[in-house]
Amino acid sequence: MNPQHLNILILFIVMLIIIVGVFVYVYRTSLPRNTEGSGQSGLSNPNQKRFLFFVILAAVLVILLTATLPKTPYYYFANEEPAKVVFVVARQFSFAMSYQSGKPGTPPPNEAIELPAGKTVEFRVTSNDVNHGFAIYDTQNQLIVQTQAMPGYVNRLRWKFEQPGHYSIRCLEFCGAAHAFMESSFLVK
Amino acid sequence: MAELKHKRVLSLWILTVFLLFVASIIMGILMRLTQGNAMKMDVSGFFEIMTVHGATMIGIWFVAGMASVHYLLHRYVRVTTWINLFAMVFTVIGVVMLWCAAFIGKFHAGWTFLYPLPLFVAWKHWATPVFLSALGVLSVGWLVWSVGMLVAIFKKYTLQQAFGWQYFKKVHQVDTPPFILITVVTLIGIVACLLTALLLLGLFFSEIASGNKLVHDALLMKNLTYFFGHTVANEILYLCLATLYELLPEVSGRPKWKNSWYIALAWNATMIFILFAFFHHMYMDFVQPEAMQVIGQLASYFASLPAVAVTLFSVLAFVFKNSIRWTTTNLLFFLGTMGWIIGGVGAVIDSTISANVFLHNSLWVPAHFHTYLAMGSVLMSLAFFNWVVFDFYNQSEPEKISRLQIILLLIGGFGFLLMFYLGGAYSIPRRFNVYPSQLSIGSALALAAAAFAVVYLIAIILINIRIVKRCIKIFSSASS
Repeated sequence: MNPQHLNILILFIVMLIIIVGVFVYVYRTSLPRNTEGSGQSGLSNPNQKRFLFFVILAAVLVILLTATLPKTPYYYFANEEPAKVVFVVARQFSFAMSYQSGKPGTPPPNEAIELPAGKTVEFRVTSNDVNHGFAIYDTQNQLIVQTQAMPGYVNRLRWKFEQPGHYSIRCLEFCGAAHAFMESSFLVK
Repeated sequence: MAELKHKRVLSLWILTVFLLFVASIIMGILMRLTQGNAMKMDVSGFFEIMTVHGATMIGIWFVAGMASVHYLLHRYVRVTTWINLFAMVFTVIGVVMLWCAAFIGKFHAGWTFLYPLPLFVAWKHWATPVFLSALGVLSVGWLVWSVGMLVAIFKKYTLQQAFGWQYFKKVHQVDTPPFILITVVTLIGIVACLLTALLLLGLFFSEIASGNKLVHDALLMKNLTYFFGHTVANEILYLCLATLYELLPEVSGRPKWKNSWYIALAWNATMIFILFAFFHHMYMDFVQPEAMQVIGQLASYFASLPAVAVTLFSVLAFVFKNSIRWTTTNLLFFLGTMGWIIGGVGAVIDSTISANVFLHNSLWVPAHFHTYLAMGSVLMSLAFFNWVVFDFYNQSEPEKISRLQIILLLIGGFGFLLMFYLGGAYSIPRRFNVYPSQLSIGSALALAAAAFAVVYLIAIILINIRIVKRCIKIFSSASS
């Protein structure tokens, strides 16, 4: 598992433990053996605590938004000139990839793709039929980046591959019976 | 006490939901066993089951929430039984058509029927129009149901009162029960998404009628699809929360919750946020205007704010250091709230654009929505069912909780879900019938998930035995 996937999983597991812990703790405070004779009766100043809870939660969300929104994939390497442009046409159930764009009404060109390591490359992704996914898996079989292949539109995805090796492409948008077998690959040198 | 005919219709809803739920869980287990290479299934058959599983699960828990709200509405307003029966007839017809389209017609484009896949026919030609018509029948039935309930509410409450706007003034003379407020807010969202579904289906049929000469814009169709699909799935939970607000204090032997300015504000805000959160389904369509992508993340994040600061906080404060008479009903409401919040965390992570770029359409997606459905709204609906079968006889629910049932439910439910989350973290794609050798860990996780799902199924059956027996009794006694 690569670090970004692991971090997400750890974040989720930590939140899971906190939430379950809070629910178990609160539940236990309500059991008769813990309430009888203790003189306790609910949360004191609930609205004050609710407001505090709201403010903390809102602050956390704003911090997360501020930290994550600038990292959207729409502007990945936007200020760099791509060293290679790859035209991708998805169709049931394969990808055609070429350094040349195809001509309307003709089969899309398809050739083996080799990309330079450490340089920005651009994929221009579209579909000839239904919606498909264009998901790039690294040499460790981890999904690193993706876009959709939509008929009538071209999605431009820029990326810089640091590690040389074989990268896989999988369709991640359900596109029919052979969806699971729709894959391709390219080489980074 | 509700009239006998209302009880009879609700019993029928509960029995229908239970039967279809068990069938749909079994379908889910079969899919996970196939992904785990423990059994072989025809490729088309797998995706037919996937289509039916998704549509049926969404449909049954939607109608469970609607039927629950309809039953409780009798406490405040006069709602007619005929809209309930109308919805029942349309639901049965819709489900039969949908199952026929999939299992006889071999339709397998998924319950989200993402344009233009249903028009690339790889099944019997009649199956696409029948599937789309099935969704049309369901939408019409549910739209009439929703509008009927809204009309009943607006006959008693003014617009301002129904939305709780009087709480924003210093003095107000009329109180709006939180149940009415949440029901109105939720039904507005439901009406919006069902109207969108009908528009979407109309566009599909216009293309079919033109012999595929009239081609629609794929991005527009996708936006319409997810406005419908995402919103309807979310509103299921809010229907359940309406019942929670109404019943949790009551079954715990405590005073009813009263409305206030912050509850009114929270639910009005939720109504707005939830209508824009669906944009997060389009994050990976880079051609979608970026403003919409940002609105998607903002709406998804801030939808959690009123929900957590008001509903979660209220539930926890209600239980904290208060002597609660724990019954199966309030415990299921409490656990359902926990499941909803855990699923919400998974959803917020997935709705972060920079994380969605490597989580989109991985198993993380079914992970989070299965969490807030299977361990959130399902538990809340079961809480209502458990309560109502005693209400049928004007009885109080005995203070009896089966620890075995709860333990099986938690282990089965969260074990099954954890396999999805791990799958997402390992980049295992969703909606694959088999996993390639490079992603073989997906098969191991699927097998473990199937085992946990069997435990969950056993717990669901055990919890429902008493409910089903009482529903059969009330239904047969009413018909004799």
